[in-house]
Formats: sequence, structure tokens, C-alpha cells
Amino acid sequence: MQTIPIPHVDPLPLPGPVWLFTALLLVVFTLHVVLMNSALGGGIWTLWNYLRGRHSEHPYSRRLANELAGMLPTFLAFTVTLGVAALLFVQVLFGNFLYASSILIGSLWLMVIPLVMVAYYGYYYFSYRAEKGTGIAGCVLAVSVCVLLGIAFIFVNNMTLMLAPERWLAMYRAHPNGWNLNLGERSLVPRYLHIVNGAIALFSAILAHLGMRKMKTDAEYGRWLVQRAALVFAACTGGQFLLGMWLLLAIPREIAMTLLRDPLAGGVFGLGLMSVILAMLLILLGSLAEKPSPLVHAGFGMSVVTLFLMVCLRYLLRLAYLKPYVDLGGLAVQPQVGVIVLFLLLFVGGLATVGYMLWLVAQGRRPVAAAR
Amino acid sequence: MNYPHWQLAIPGGMLIALVAVLHVFVSHFAVGGGFFLVVTESIARRRGDGELLSYCRRHSKFFALLTLVFGAISGVGIWFTIGLVSPEATSTLIHTFVWAWAIEWVFFFVEIAAAIIYAKTWDSLDGREHLIIGWIYFVAAWMSLFVINGILTFMLTPGRWIETHNFWDGMFNPTFMPSLVARTAVSFILAGIFGYITLPKVEGREKVARWAAMWMVAGAVVLPLGLMWYFSRLPQFSQFYLNGLIRGVRHAVRGGVGFTLAALAIALICGVWKPRWMRPGVVTALVVCGLGMIGAGEYLREFLRKPWVINQVIYANDIRAAQVEALQAKGVSRTANFLLADDVTSEAYGQNLFHLQCGSCHAAGGYRGMRQRVDGWDADFAADILQHIHMLRGTMPPYAGDAQDRKALGKYLASLNPAWQFQVTDANRLEVGEKVFGARCGHCHTVNGNYRPLRGAFEKATPAQVAEVFPALGDMSSNMPAFNAPADQAAALAAYISHEANRPILHTPIPEQMPTGSNHSQLMRPASPRQEVR
Ligand code: HEC
Ligand code: HEC
Repeated sequence: MQTIPIPHVDPLPLPGPVWLFTALLLVVFTLHVVLMNSALGGGIWTLWNYLRGRHSEHPYSRRLANELAGMLPTFLAFTVTLGVAALLFVQVLFGNFLYASSILIGSLWLMVIPLVMVAYYGYYYFSYRAEKGTGIAGCVLAVSVCVLLGIAFIFVNNMTLMLAPERWLAMYRAHPNGWNLNLGERSLVPRYLHIVNGAIALFSAILAHLGMRKMKTDAEYGRWLVQRAALVFAACTGGQFLLGMWLLLAIPREIAMTLLRDPLAGGVFGLGLMSVILAMLLILLGSLAEKPSPLVHAGFGMSVVTLFLMVCLRYLLRLAYLKPYVDLGGLAVQPQVGVIVLFLLLFVGGLATVGYMLWLVAQGRRPVAAAR
Repeated sequence: MNYPHWQLAIPGGMLIALVAVLHVFVSHFAVGGGFFLVVTESIARRRGDGELLSYCRRHSKFFALLTLVFGAISGVGIWFTIGLVSPEATSTLIHTFVWAWAIEWVFFFVEIAAAIIYAKTWDSLDGREHLIIGWIYFVAAWMSLFVINGILTFMLTPGRWIETHNFWDGMFNPTFMPSLVARTAVSFILAGIFGYITLPKVEGREKVARWAAMWMVAGAVVLPLGLMWYFSRLPQFSQFYLNGLIRGVRHAVRGGVGFTLAALAIALICGVWKPRWMRPGVVTALVVCGLGMIGAGEYLREFLRKPWVINQVIYANDIRAAQVEALQAKGVSRTANFLLADDVTSEAYGQNLFHLQCGSCHAAGGYRGMRQRVDGWDADFAADILQHIHMLRGTMPPYAGDAQDRKALGKYLASLNPAWQFQVTDANRLEVGEKVFGARCGHCHTVNGNYRPLRGAFEKATPAQVAEVFPALGDMSSNMPAFNAPADQAAALAAYISHEANRPILHTPIPEQMPTGSNHSQLMRPASPRQEVR
């Protein structure tokens, strides 16, 4: 009988406490997802409105597509930047699982890099051409969006495969050249759909929030945007419930049971459900009025909170999956205190610098997006 | 041994090199080019030079498109690639330097934000504020180079970290400063080279052409100084590689110097002297020279670290130095997690071992292909010489497996070529002898060259006297395989060696010092010298 091969952990101790890495991972990963949702969900929104806006009876769609066009490359830039940070911290804690699963799908995993470049250049191209409203620009945007959807699929494959060491050896023997997918995973499809649909939902919440701000300069356009975004948000969130249920049914029973047995996981799950319902109510109530009210902002805030809770839940489920193989508490730790402090100081300094630059921009005569 | 081995058609190291060269090319431009932009912009603003300012503006758009997308994403590409090819080493680097990377990430974040804002706010910010953004960009970009430079140099010269495991010892290691100087110089050269891509057609053409050339000259003056300093700080075994015995290194050194000088010549002729001549074709040649310079530099940097990926800790094939002994005692099949074949006597298992132990640097064919390098090896000879694999030019890790493993790999290596059959005649005897020498001795010896010359041992010996020595070779040095060639090949070899050793030559060979199995451990592993396998 073959035993399940688990690469042993690194002989060097962890250079910082587990809780710190976990906290950083959860925070940067949440931010990564927010940006990813903006890049992907935003791309889908833009594409839809760009196509719709080609008919003259939908000037607002056209306008929205033009406004989003300039933001998409920036969204993608920060998706990647924050993704790098998440990748860094996840490697510290779960490197031995992540490396193994990445290698198993190595060829596809590496494809992510050229694919991101294609999507990214596509977004830039679109941002330069959107105003002209050409068909080619639309096609380029469509390609970028499809590529991003493909990348998301590769990621979902890897993230599920790293939790399934029992599948590794057979998969490796089938294709040692890295042309594998984790198609044997029952939760693969619901998980993927859950994430893509969630991206549209969250970006819709972001748009509702943006629309509120637009209302200050152009009330009618702003209202149109808020209401449209709210409807899509509500529809996608409804879909998210169904997909979430499918996902829960697709993951192994013992894992799903942690939601009931483990008070922490159950608590996070319960809070998440409450917060998403709250987000939906706030956004719908706020937007459906004749004059949308600031409840929309609160709804947007709640949807980010929901996302954070879902990220935490995902983390707890990962721990449940890996329970037989990992003992994070048992890892040797030797904190590099000085360096950690330096990092935290620089981190604050970096945020301040970025804040300062944004402040400079806000002071500038014209807004950034329009100045390109 | 710990992780599955990703089987590629090319050596894993080569994939890393490909990604790295492209990334280094653009990312160093991202540092130097950022500096170039702010300095040029501030001069333009100070002088009220509209031509120069509009050049900056156009250049900044190109700059952003290249560095933000290709530069940044290819950097992530390196992460992905090293994780796939050398997970063990990546893990150790992460465990040592995760906070350095986190710090680098902060700079990277600021850098990206600043680059986007800089490129977008030419109209909306006033001059002073726009320059502030530019300076923030440059400082952040250079700082991220500063941090990454520490991790990269650590891999070749971990210095005191080996004993202390102290973060700062690893970060500010012996080659940190020289490498930082050299890299900064390179970034200046690249700033100049890429500066020509957006060279104005008419207005300001001469001004910009001369200005960009000055950046290249400045970089090219500092670069050799930085490199000399760098080379002087290298560990001894790396310095040996520079002695010219290894063809790849020879070519890389010449290529690096050649490309840099060519770029400089183009800059002086078509930049300073006749800016009219700086046509798109010439600019392309310049960019190619820049890429060649980076390619050669990266090749050398990687080569000088062989056989290690992290000096003294992990070999290039991702096997930890500390694991080698256990692997030699227990064998791979009882240690590795992911094997493709269960039958340890099969050729398939041998092939699997080849991928695990040699695949990071060799593939069966193609670049540094195994087929042509083991032509003439039979299975027994291959199994024997594997014990001494680290002696062949000193670039390879010791073989990490037991006798059974050597047999299986030997079988696979022998299967790569058809067995040699010769009709030895008087006419072709020397020719055959030369081939046999190449297959059985030439990996470790020359006759009249500087690389372990045999002339001293065989001068004045007749073919028969040479042949008498063969059976004793295996016992003569613990680093030499036993001799088992068929009689006709042995006779031809003896004739060849005797002929060569008695040929008049101009200079007596001076044996060069080489990193070998024994002095590798002296030079590199003070902690626990590896036992010779016998
Ligand atoms: C660290 C990378 C590396 C690894 C791992 C490695 N090699 Fe090599 N090998 C080299 C280099 C570099 C050369 C010399 C350059 C050349 O021949 O082009 C070389 C040359 C050789 C040669 C020709 C030697 C000569 O002097 O002509 C043989 C034979 C060889 N390797 C066999 C192997 C075998 C078998 C393995 C696995 C057990 C292996 N190598 C693992 C890097 C490596
Ligand atoms: C794996 C590498 C390797 C191979 C292959 C190899 N040798 Fe050697 N040989 C050595 C080493 C190492 C020494 C010891 C040199 C030293 O101590 O400086 C040596 C020493 C010798 C010596 C003694 C030289 C002296 O001056 O004392 C002779 C003779 C010799 N080899 C002949 C051969 C011949 C003939 C072949 C081919 C059939 C051969 N060797 C193949 C590694 C090798």
C-alpha cells in the first residue's frame, strides 16, 4: 500500500509567530480578493456596458464603460501586488502543500504568468481605445476577461489540490510534466462559480458605492448606477446562496461538519450569513428609494466585512482539510523581532507615502482618471 | 526528494534563467529608468525646456507600460518558477527572508502606486508635485533592488549566516555591496539604452541622444569597478570557474564584455557623435546588446554558484547537503516521496533518478544535453563514474543515491546512445583513441592542457606501457573510475595517449586548480565534510 506522501516542513524555524503570519495572510488576501473582484467583476461589468453602450439609446452604459476602462489596469496592478503578498505569507505556513500541488499542475500554473500579461496589456489597450467605441476594443476586452476567468480556474485548481494530498501521487504518475487539473475534485466547479459570481457581486457593491459619489456631480447618472448596481448585487448575492449551498454539499462531510462542530468556524459562518443578509438589505433599501440614501455605503461596507469573514472561513476550512497533516502550533518558531518591527514601521511608512501621493493627486486640478 | 519533480523538456535551471534574464532586463530598467525620468524631468523644468519635457512625458508612458506590466509580472514569474523548479530552496529562502520580502513588498507597492500616478498626472499636478512622485518612485524602486540584492547575493555568499543563522548576516553578506554597485551601474546603462526607444524624431533629438549616452557611459565606467570588487569577494570555488577551463563561462565572459562594449560604441557613435544615425534598427541592436549583457551576467552569476543553489546548504538539484549522506546510505527509493517507478532495477527508475538528480541542469538532449555527453559510456562505467560526478569540472553536486541507484541510472545513461562498435585499423586508430579518451578520461583530464594533464604521467611511454596502467586506474585515485573498456578500444586509447603525450608542444601544461570533490568540501562546507563514497 502506498502511503500518502507529504513533503516535510522546512528544517529552519518560522521567523515569526504563526498568529502574525495568519493575520497578515488573512488581511492581504482579503484585499487581494477585493482588488481581484474589481479587476474581474469590473471587467465583466465593463464589457457588458461597453457592448450595451454601443447602441445610442444607452448613453449611461457607454459612459460607465468609459469611466471603468481607465481603472481596470490599476485594479489588475494591485490585484497582482496584493496577490504577491498573499502568496508570500501562505508559503510560510503551507509551503510544503502549495509547492507540491503547484508542481503537479506546474505547466498550467506557470501559464498564469503570460496569461496575466495578456489580460493586463489587453486592459491597457482597452483603456486607450474605449472612448472610440470600436469593435476591436470590445474584443480585446472580452479576451482579457476570458483570460482572467481562465486564471481564476487555474487558481481554484491549485487551491483545492493543495488540500488533497491523497490525490497527488496518482496524479503525478499520470502526468509528471505538470499538465494536470484537479478535475477529480467534487467541489471544483461550485467553488469556481462561487468565486466568479462573488466577484461580480462584490464589484456591484463597489459600484453602488461609487454611484452614490457620482450623484453629487450628476444626480441622474449616479442614481442609474446605484440602482443598477444594487439590482445586480442582489441577484448575484442570491445566486451566491445557492452556489454556496452547492459548495457545502460538495465538500467532504467531515469537513463540512466542522461548521457545526467547531464553535469558531460555526461562529464565523453564522456571522458571515448575517452580514451578507444585512449587506443585501442595506443596499436594496438604500438604493430603491427615489433618492438613494447613504445606507448604500453601509451596505458596501458590510459586503467587504462579509468577504473578510468568508476569507476567514476559507482559512478555517483549509485547516480542517489539512488537519491530519499539519500542526501549525507545533512548528518551531524563532521570531526575527528586529526585522518584524522594521517591516511594520516601513509598512506604515509605505501606506503613509501612498496616502500622501493620493492626497497630492486629489489636490491636483483634475482627477487622475480623466487626466490620462 | 521531498517534492514531486516537475518534468520539463528543458533543464529546470534553464527555465529559471530564461524568466530571470527577461525580468532582470526590465526590472533594472525600472530602477535606472525611473531615475533617468525624474532627473531629466527636473532639468527640463528648471530650464523650461518644452522639448525635453514632452520627451519625458512620452517616455514615461512607455516606461509604465513596460515596467508595470512586463517587469512586475515577470517578477512574479520568477517566484512561480523557482517554487516549481526548486521548492526546497525556495522554502529555505522564505524561512530565512520572509520579512525581507515583506519589506521589499512594501517598496514594491509604493513603487507601483507611484509609477501609475506619475504616468497619469502630467497634466493634473504642478511640476514640483509631479517631481515628488517621481522621486518617491525612484527611491522605492531602488530600495526594492537593495533588499532583493541581499537575498540574491546570499545564495552565493551566505557568509557568516552559515554559522549564526542570523538574518542580518545573511542579508549584508560579503557580496552585498559590490553587487549593489554593479546592479545600480547596470540600471544606468539600461536607462540609457531604453531612453532611445522613445527618441524624438525631430525636436530635441540630439539633446536626448547625447543625454541618454551619458547615462550609459556613467554606468559603463562604474560597472567594471563593481564587478572587480564582486569577483574579489567570491568564494574560491567560484573563482576557479573563471580560469577559462569551462567553455560556457569563457563564452559568457567574452559575451558580456563584448555586448557591453558594443552598446557603448553604439552610444558614442550614434548617440553622441551622429544622433542622426540612431535609427530604429540601431536602437534595436542596442537593445539586443543590453539583453546580451544581462544574459551573460545572469548566466555567470548562476554558473559561479554551481553546484549549489544556496551555497553550502542546498545543491542545484534541490537536494540538501545534509541529506546526501542519508541518500547514499539508504538510497533514493526509500527516501523520496514522489517516484514514477517502483521497480528499482528498471530503466524507468533510472530515468526518474536522472530527472531528480540531473534534471535541473541537464535534459536528455538539447542544451547541455546528456546524450552527447555520455556517448561511449556502458552501464557499468556509468554506474562507476557516477560516484565521481562532482569531479567532472567541479560543477556538479555529488551523486545522492546508493549502489542500486547508480546501477539504475547507469543503465539509463547507457541507453541514451547505441553501444560503440569499432573496426579499429591502423588508419583510424588515433581517431578512435581520441573518441575513447573523450568518453572515458576527457571529463576529468586533458593530455597536454591545463586541466589535470596526463602528459607528466605518460611522457615517453609507449602504447603498451600506457595500456599497462589501465587496470590500476581504479585504485590509483579514489576519484577515478575503474577502467573497463573493451580491448580494442583500450588499445586505441593507449595509442592515442602515447601519441599525444610524446608530441612536441610549446608550453608545458600547468595544472590549474579545480574545485573537486575533496576541495569542494574544504572550500565550501566547513561543517561536515562529505564522506567519499567508495
Ligand atoms: C548543478 C547543475 C548540474 C547537475 C545537477 C548535474 N550537472 Fe552535469 N554538468 C553540469 C555542468 C555545468 C557541466 C559542464 C558544462 C558542460 O559540459 O556544458 C556538466 C557536465 C556534465 C558531463 C560532461 C562532463 C565533461 O566534462 O564533459 C556529464 C557526463 C554530466 N554533466 C553528467 C551529469 C549527471 C549524470 C548528472 C546527475 C547525476 C549531472 N550531470 C548533474 C551541471 C550539472
Ligand atoms: C572522474 C574523473 C576521472 C576520470 C574519468 C579519469 N580520471 Fe584519472 N584521475 C582523476 C583524478 C581526480 C586523479 C588524481 C589527480 C590528482 O591527484 O591531481 C587522477 C589521476 C590520474 C593519473 C595519475 C596522474 C598523476 O600524475 O599522478 C593517471 C595516470 C590517470 N588519472 C589516468 C586516467 C586515464 C587514462 C583515464 C581514462 C581512462 C582517467 N584517468 C579517467 C580523475 C579521473
